[in-house]
Amino acid sequence: MSSSIQNLPTSSGSPDQGGTEPKTDIGEPPKGGSAVSYFLRKLGGALTSMILVVVLGFFAFRMLPGDPVLKIAKERPMSPAQIAELRSQYGLDKPVIVQFWDYLVGLFTGDLGQSYVYRKPVSALIVEYLGPTLLLTATAAVIAIALGLWLGQLAAWRRNSLFDKLASGTSLVFWSVPTFWLGLILLMIFGGTLQWLPTGGMITPGLEPWSLAAVIDVIKHLILPVVTLVAVVYAQFLMIMRASLLEEMSEDYLTTARAKGLTEDEVRTKHAVPNALLPTVTVVFLHIGGLIAGAVTVEAVFSWPGLGKLTFEAISGPDLPLLQGTFVVFSAIIIVMNLAADIIYRWLDPRVRRA
Amino acid sequence: MFVSEPLRRRSGRILAGFAAIALTVGLAATPAQAEPTPAPENSAVLRIATNGFIDSFNPFTSFYLLPTNTFRYMYENLVANSAENAEVTEGLATTWETDDEGLVWTYKIRPGMTWSDDEPLTAKDVSWTYNQMMAKEEMAVANGSLVENFDKVEAPDDATVVITLKQPQANNPGQEIPVVPEHVWSKINKPGKFKNDENTVGSGPFQLQSYEANKSVTLKANPNFWRGAPNIGEIQYRYYTNPDAQVQAIRSGEVDFITGLSPEQFKAIENADGVETNVGNGRRFNSISINSGLADKNNNEFGNGSEALKDVKVRQAIRAGIDLTTLREQVMQDYAQPATSFIPAVYKKWALPADDPVVSGFDVEKAKSLLDEAGWKAGSDGIREKNGKKLELRFLTDSDDTVQQTTGKFLKPWMKDIGIALKTEASDSDTVSERTTKGDYDMYFSGWSINPDPDYQLGINTCGARPDADGNGGTTQDGYCNPEFDKLYNQQHVELDDKARVDLVHQALALHYQDAPSISLWYPNQLEAYRSDRFTGFTKQPTDGGIIANQVGYWGYSTVEPASAKDSSQDGGVGVGVWIGIGIAVIIVGGVAYFLINRRNRSDDRE
Repeated sequence: MSSSIQNLPTSSGSPDQGGTEPKTDIGEPPKGGSAVSYFLRKLGGALTSMILVVVLGFFAFRMLPGDPVLKIAKERPMSPAQIAELRSQYGLDKPVIVQFWDYLVGLFTGDLGQSYVYRKPVSALIVEYLGPTLLLTATAAVIAIALGLWLGQLAAWRRNSLFDKLASGTSLVFWSVPTFWLGLILLMIFGGTLQWLPTGGMITPGLEPWSLAAVIDVIKHLILPVVTLVAVVYAQFLMIMRASLLEEMSEDYLTTARAKGLTEDEVRTKHAVPNALLPTVTVVFLHIGGLIAGAVTVEAVFSWPGLGKLTFEAISGPDLPLLQGTFVVFSAIIIVMNLAADIIYRWLDPRVRRA
Repeated sequence: MFVSEPLRRRSGRILAGFAAIALTVGLAATPAQAEPTPAPENSAVLRIATNGFIDSFNPFTSFYLLPTNTFRYMYENLVANSAENAEVTEGLATTWETDDEGLVWTYKIRPGMTWSDDEPLTAKDVSWTYNQMMAKEEMAVANGSLVENFDKVEAPDDATVVITLKQPQANNPGQEIPVVPEHVWSKINKPGKFKNDENTVGSGPFQLQSYEANKSVTLKANPNFWRGAPNIGEIQYRYYTNPDAQVQAIRSGEVDFITGLSPEQFKAIENADGVETNVGNGRRFNSISINSGLADKNNNEFGNGSEALKDVKVRQAIRAGIDLTTLREQVMQDYAQPATSFIPAVYKKWALPADDPVVSGFDVEKAKSLLDEAGWKAGSDGIREKNGKKLELRFLTDSDDTVQQTTGKFLKPWMKDIGIALKTEASDSDTVSERTTKGDYDMYFSGWSINPDPDYQLGINTCGARPDADGNGGTTQDGYCNPEFDKLYNQQHVELDDKARVDLVHQALALHYQDAPSISLWYPNQLEAYRSDRFTGFTKQPTDGGIIANQVGYWGYSTVEPASAKDSSQDGGVGVGVWIGIGIAVIIVGGVAYFLINRRNRSDDRE
């Protein structure tokens, strides 16, 4: 993947190549063209994806088997009148096309509908649960990216050394381990047996919010989920960094740098790594979106009160409005991250910008 | 940012970061259960792990398990169900009587009771609550079916409630309806939308103090509870999404009570220090529901069930071909009681006795002869045939449920032994429920939780419980319809003489057993565990071998008291050895970091 991104236009001689699409990579910015038109094109693509998500989000979940009302009424002493009342409360007695129209109108007014089971606006629920998810994924993302890039460049520089084999091997083992399983094992060792860390949740009930004790308590609760999330994702950053740097290592400018008398460390950090970072940063952004979605499993293991848990509950409902809401939000995050990757890529690479 | 900063300095900083993480781990090593223990009396907090879903704590609208269980602790009913055997006992009412046919029920309310806010609790509160549910749809969402038969409810004075029914009934109508204070609820503008999730006013042993979504539910002891204030200060439900995490939480002492364990989880903590376990006889049954020819209320058939199953002899043969004892011991690992019907054995009075003449055991020969009688003759491959059709049946299971999967694995060879080809079709629970609603099955794995009075469950086995022509409105258990059974149901429904009613119920259950529209497999145990080093005195329902959580009533936690705080070593948390280990780890990590940074500095110097 990184090698195709590597094939950047070395110069952009012709300012406008019109509609001819380069045959290389989807991530590659078009040669030439003004920044505005580039930006607009990417934005248009993102908007198209978003519209598809919105439509798909409505119909896909309605094709799932299972009647929400019957599910709720299952094994419960409920009279037919009660069931009919629930059906009309949820608007499920209306034709699907009317339901779709209500959903569209709602979306444009920022109203994602009312959750069946929470009996609360979906948008309020999402805002409520977004905070913990961001805390968890942002912490994990920063650590995983830093760790992955740092180990990746070291591994590439000492290619085929024992360090390279150990670092790459370990990261790939963690990458291959099921998140759920790793989380439970960590939970058993550090929570149940050693009792160093709490076994679940985000904060011990009853603590004063924002007090020092509460902050320390949250950090304690944060450690195991973050470690799990970092362990299973840092490999991708390591591998990207390693591959990018390997490509750079055969370049002539490094020989020049060495000839100037720079130490190996300097050659690496001042010349090779900055160039290798270019494709890496783009891919990192693409992966951040996935990281947020990946938090679903980790949240379920560590009882983290975030969007993942909310989605999990919505699926078992099936709480259609909530499911649609979380689906749209997750997709939006990923689409925005992809857009950001496109833009940052252009901004980072002076050769593309110059055009 | 990445580009401009020299990486060398950064890598040094990352190492420093690792040292910081190591320190944080050390910090985190302060014992997880370092919360205020040992507790002085009456302020002890009983912490219960839960993953229960909560929409609100409104007793008129919420019907999910955790809120419903909480209502039982928050609001006393007109009459309660005893801890001993779940039979009707005094609640708000001390005595009650009915007219000759069971149409008018008169209750005497205990004088001098107060709500948790010290306001007097009278018959007026009861009649106000019931009338709200009868008059307003929004107040009938959760328990509407319980007042459906109410014609009018009156409180002629502060100590008397009179319920006049539309049709006579033998089952006491004052059960299971939470009674709320009129002086609080009458001031609420939209009571159907009221969340009722903090500082509630009620009459039960505990009141809801606060609720934080997906974090905790805190209940506070109510000193005004008419049976006397509880011995602990608070109950706190804490959220654990994952049952395995709950097991770790009780091992580490972060929670004091967990329930709903799998046999594997249960065995894993059976020998843990300071933890005691309870194998509770539960109020659930599991069965194999058989498609004995589904039809709607107008007897129009629907679905695609096998024709063979319309023959009662085939259904009986299937039962005779299943070794229920082996199945229970192997699939449930013996954590279940033997079953006779859909009324669990914990309701001793109502359950069909195991020595009833209709109850028969595992008998392959009998199964074969029943199938012979039904005209299904053994074919060349051992599978029986009739009119050129093979006896092939589908068994629907939930692919996520190990118990159902294992049951299928046992059933298949047993059915083959008697000449039936059984095909297990596993899918997700939503698909199973959709297919069973449409009648697209021959057999499926089923189960219900049963309340103390058998009337409701008998009722959903009558012809009238089948869906209407549009497929709506049916809550039928197995699609069963037998006018004989309906007659027995109607008789027991109004039989005021307890002995006579029990006899009628047994007759109905025996008839159902013979008709075999479903085969009851077992009554699963509820596997529970609690920190016996912190608390004692849990009350089971039934008191002899019953369950602590999910009771019909408020007995489980109301009698709990702190264990004598003699053994304080449990509260010491992490031992000295662990601290030394952490210290060594920090020194090593710090040392390595120092070495690496220094080495770099030295090489820089050399440049």
